[in-house]
This record gives sequence, structure tokens and C-alpha cells, in this order.
Amino acid sequence: MELLQYTIRKLLAGIPLILGVTFVSFLLMVYFGPDQTYQLIGKNPTPEQIAEVRAQLGYDKPFVVRYADYLRELGTLDFGFSDSTGEKVSVLLGRTIPVSLALITPGFILGNLVALMLALIAAHHRSGWVDKMIMGLSVVGMSISFLIVVIAFQIVFSSSYGLGLFPVRGWNVHSPGDYFAYVAVPTMATVFVALGYNTRFYRSVIVEELTRDHVRTARAFGVPPARLLYRNVLKNCMIPIITRIVFSIPLIVISGALIIETYFGIPGVGKVTFEAITSGDQPVLKAVVGLTALLFVLAQLVTDILYRAVDPRVSLK
Amino acid sequence: MSGEPLLRVTDLVVEFSTEQGVVRAVDRVSFEVRPNETLGIVGESGCGKTVTGLAIMGLIPSPPGRIAAGSITFQGRELAGLPESEMRAIRGRDIAMVFQEPMTALNPVFTVGNQMIDVLRRYRGLTRRQARPAAIELLAKVGIPAADQRIDEYPHQLSGGMRQRVVIAMALSCDPKLIVADEPTTALDVTTQAQVLEQIVKLQQEFQMAMILVTHDLGVVAETCHRAIVMYCGRIAEKAEIEPLFAHPRHPYTVGLLGSIPRVGEGEKQDLAVIPGIVPDLLHLPPGCRFADRCSSRQARCDEALPELDGGEDSRSRVACYFPY
Ligand SMILES: Nc1ncnc2c1ncn2[C@@H]1O[C@H](COP(=O)(O)OP(=O)(O)OP(=O)(O)O)[C@@H](O)[C@H]1O
Ligand SMILES: [Mg+2]
Repeated sequence: MELLQYTIRKLLAGIPLILGVTFVSFLLMVYFGPDQTYQLIGKNPTPEQIAEVRAQLGYDKPFVVRYADYLRELGTLDFGFSDSTGEKVSVLLGRTIPVSLALITPGFILGNLVALMLALIAAHHRSGWVDKMIMGLSVVGMSISFLIVVIAFQIVFSSSYGLGLFPVRGWNVHSPGDYFAYVAVPTMATVFVALGYNTRFYRSVIVEELTRDHVRTARAFGVPPARLLYRNVLKNCMIPIITRIVFSIPLIVISGALIIETYFGIPGVGKVTFEAITSGDQPVLKAVVGLTALLFVLAQLVTDILYRAVDPRVSLK
Repeated sequence: MSGEPLLRVTDLVVEFSTEQGVVRAVDRVSFEVRPNETLGIVGESGCGKTVTGLAIMGLIPSPPGRIAAGSITFQGRELAGLPESEMRAIRGRDIAMVFQEPMTALNPVFTVGNQMIDVLRRYRGLTRRQARPAAIELLAKVGIPAADQRIDEYPHQLSGGMRQRVVIAMALSCDPKLIVADEPTTALDVTTQAQVLEQIVKLQQEFQMAMILVTHDLGVVAETCHRAIVMYCGRIAEKAEIEPLFAHPRHPYTVGLLGSIPRVGEGEKQDLAVIPGIVPDLLHLPPGCRFADRCSSRQARCDEALPELDGGEDSRSRVACYFPY
């Protein structure tokens, strides 16, 4: 009950945030963003022709009206039709978002889980050679550009010069086997790149927690070191860890997907967004921007609720 | 008080390597604790009381700290340099510690019961179901009202005094032979202090434990301890049985601490008196007596070499001073 009230209150509190984000991005899109007028129009147009096309696109309406329309679209999740392909935007996103999620989720989960495990191992052996090795490799991983990792992995795992195990590009998924084949290399690449950052972050959080008084008390009462880490300290560290994980979700869904999908030629929402930006497809952009804002508000709500679950001192006031 | 000592600390040296250099927080400290006996450790802030306790528990944070020399034997067994896994078997079961900081000593994200049950299961081999009533009983024993409800609360829902009682209950639950109580009441308000202390002493007798009681309160030492050591700058200044210590304090530092001749047994509490001057920096210690700068009996010899404790092992009062009272 308390939780339900809290959720509703938080969602209501999220409305101004959504309004703010959408307003600013809409403003930027309208005045500085891509414009389709000159792509749809022939050479040497008359001012009348220009006005006609702009009217068709809805560019001639006053800003306030266009923004209000936008909010209505956001409320109903009906964003009209893509300017470039004519496909209904909701259908387009309904088709591509699942692809992106399927593509990103394994790498995201593995990247965090493996990093957490490495961080626990490093923290357990802190200042020892195991720790130094893990931290050293993290720095190496962090300093290699994603593009190079992708190309290297494609050559090693997918090309005829290397192991040739997986398809290089594309997304032709009809069975779990196909899914595994297409998702394997992108997953390995994202895990490789995320691992360094995540491990370093998690290690520093855990090591910091290990200096606390309650850790000394636990040790004074004979808690074995491994148990101390995975049972006592891990739960104490959950707040920064949850914050990092949940808040990276919206970013990963949009920008992470955009990069991976471009490199691997996968038809997900990232690719759709990228094409919408280059072609000035405003209905699609509006939908993506609005949904991203929504996702951030949801992420905030989820973190707040999870905080309460891991730390009794947090109240759902 | 006679019999084989339970704990014997001999020439203990604990060092911390800091950015400015090596700090010797405890310097050739020796003492022993016999079964059922209470040893008091007094001295100003930073003189090495907590570090001494941590060294006995094998809990010196390392790095930066280490036991650089000396020996700590418990029931004849050497603890210094014992591997962590063997030390862990001794912690709690043989020697338990109650820490100075009640507010932060418990884990904030687990309930009191959860933390106690964890300890009870480890030391008494109980199941979770059996451990719960045992934990409630212990909480009641250390004076926590409505223990059956308190057990499900989180540390932040309890006052400092309650939390300290919880840690004491945890220590008792292991049935240790020696309990190191590091200023168990300093962080608490005066009324709570008295109650918690009374509780500890009562339980110590009931559970037949020896205790090392670190405190600032000389009144407490006079009332509860059999013997005491007075520490200054990592060194023992005076080590004596309670009677002679209060009747005839010999080290000028002890005399300063007592302020005036104390009245033993009148139940009057006395906090450490203010002694003019400051404690020397552990990084820049003088070659001679560390108290010399603040001492009214200072003579040339005091600045030449560190005084060692006089007398033999079994004298009732030993002092590290060239010109004792
Ligand atoms: N982790 C550490 N790193 C470096 N030096 C330390 C560390 N812990 C303790 N010391 C040094 O050891 C000295 C003694 O500290 P200790 O905590 O034993 O003092 P104390 O007698 O318990 O004082 P208080 O009455 O304030 O509790 C300190 O002055 C400090 O210089
Ligand atoms: Mg201390």
C-alpha cells in the first residue's frame, strides 16, 4: 500500500521532468533540428510550393500548437507516420525496440555481473597481485576504442581469417540458435568494453565499504572473509551499484544500441534513430525523445524503490 | 589474584606506515590478564589503547599497520603472526571485543536479530529457529526492554546505548574467556554509561570472563578493575594493582591524571584531569622520556634515554620513571 502510494506519487512527480525534457528537446528539434522540406521538394521551388510542403508536414503551425500536439501524441503513444517510410511510428518502434533489447540485454547483464565478480575478487585480494592484475587489465580494456574491439572481434570470431564461428553482420533470427549466433559477437564486444569501467567502479565501492566499522565488528565475530564480502558488504554496496545499473539502462538502450547496431548492421531502434536524425524524420525523433524521457523517469522510480529494498534507513516518505 | 595468566602480552610493538613515516602506535608494551580478572587501560586519546586491543584480536588494519615485534600468548598459544584462518577461530569464541563506536559498529542494512543470529549459529551451532529465542534472551539479559520486538529492528532504530548493548550481547553469545571492552560507554550519555557499565561488570562475573577495560574514567577503573596500566604515547607509564595505583600513584603522569589523591571506593567518578602541555607527535618523538615536556619533576637524565618499567614481574606497582613519586 505504502509502495503503491509512493509509486503513484513518484510518477506524478515525474511529469514535470518529462515536460521539461520533451519541451527542451522539441524546441531544439524545431528550430535547430533536421528539416525535411527540401528533401521532399523539387529543384528551384517557388515560395508557394515551399509553403505547401511545410503545411503538409505541419511545420507551419505555431510552436505552442505543435508542442501540444506532441504531448497528446506522447499521451496516446500514437506518433503518426514516419516521414521517410510512411510506416506507422508505433509499429516501427514496436518492431525495432524488441530487437534492440534482445541485442543489448545479454551484454548488459554479463558486463555487470562479471564486473561485479571481478570487483569482489579484486577487493578480496586488495593490494595483492590478483587485485593489481585485474585493475591493470581493466585499464587496458578501458583504453581500447570500441571500434577497434568490434573490428578485432569480428575478424577473430566471424571472418574466414579467424574462427569463422558467427555471422559478421545482420539479424536474421528465427530460432534460439540464430539468436545466439547473431548476439554472440556484439555481446562479447560490449562486455569487453564495459568490463573495465564497471570493475573499477564496483571495486572502489566495495573497498570503501570494507573500511567501515561494521566490517571490523563482523571480523571480530569471526565472519569468514568470503562470506563477509558476498553477504555483508555486497548488500551495503547496493545503493551505488543499483544507481549505476538502472541509470545506465536508458543510455544503453539509445546510444549503446545506436553504436552496436550500426557496426553490426542490426535493424534495431538505434539504427532507426540514427536514420531519423540523418533524414530529419521528425515523427520518429519525437517518439524516441519522448520515450527516452519516460524511461529516465521510470529508472528513477525503480532505483528509489530498490533503495528501500536494500537499505532500511531509506524511507518512502 | 594469582594463577597462570590467560593472556600475556610481551614487548608488543605495533607500527603504521603513513605518508610521513612509520608511526609506532604501541611501543614495547607488556602486561598479562589472569582468568576472571579485569585489567584497566587508561590514557589520553591517541596513546594506543585501541590499537593494543586490536592487536590482541588480530584486527590491526594491514596495510598500513602491522605487529612489528613482541608476542601475544593466549592460554599459552602464540597469537602474533597466526594465520588469519586460525585467528578467526579465536575471535569471538576465545576473545571478544566491544568497540568504541556503538553508532557504527553494527551493519546498518541487517536487523539486530539477523546479526545476532549469525553469531549464535556460528558459535553455538544452533539452527536459525533455535538461535532466535537465544538471541532474544541475550538481549533481555543486557537490559534491552521488549527484546522480542527490538530484535527485528534495524540498528538505526536503536539509540547508541541500545546498540552498544547489542554488541555486548553479541560478545556474550560467544561465551568468550576474555572480553576486550574498548571504552564501551564513552560515546553514551552519563546515565546510560553507568547502566551499561554496571551491566557489563555483572555479566562478566556471571559468565566468568576476564576483561580488558579501556576507559577514560578513573572512577570506573577504581571500582571495577583489579589492576590497571596507564599508557602514554604508546608506552606503559605505570602498571599497578588498583590499591597502590590510587593510594600511591608514582608516575607524574598518573599523578596528573588523578589530579589529586583519589578516594578509592567512595563511588565518586572522576574524569581525566587536564595536564598542561601537549602530547608529542608520534612521528617526532624525543629520545628521552615522552612525558618529559609536560613533567614537573623533569631533570637532565629524563631527556637522555627512555625510562623502562622498574621492579620485577610480580611487584605490585611498576613505573617507568627516573624520579617517581
Ligand atoms: N589506521 C591507522 N593508520 C595510521 N595510524 C594509526 C591508525 N590507527 C591508529 N593509528 C595511530 O595509532 C595511535 C593510537 O591510536 P589508538 O586508536 O590506539 O588511540 P586510543 O588510545 O584508542 O585513543 P582514543 O582514546 O581516542 O580512542 C594514533 O595516534 C594514530 O597515530
Ligand atoms: Mg580508542
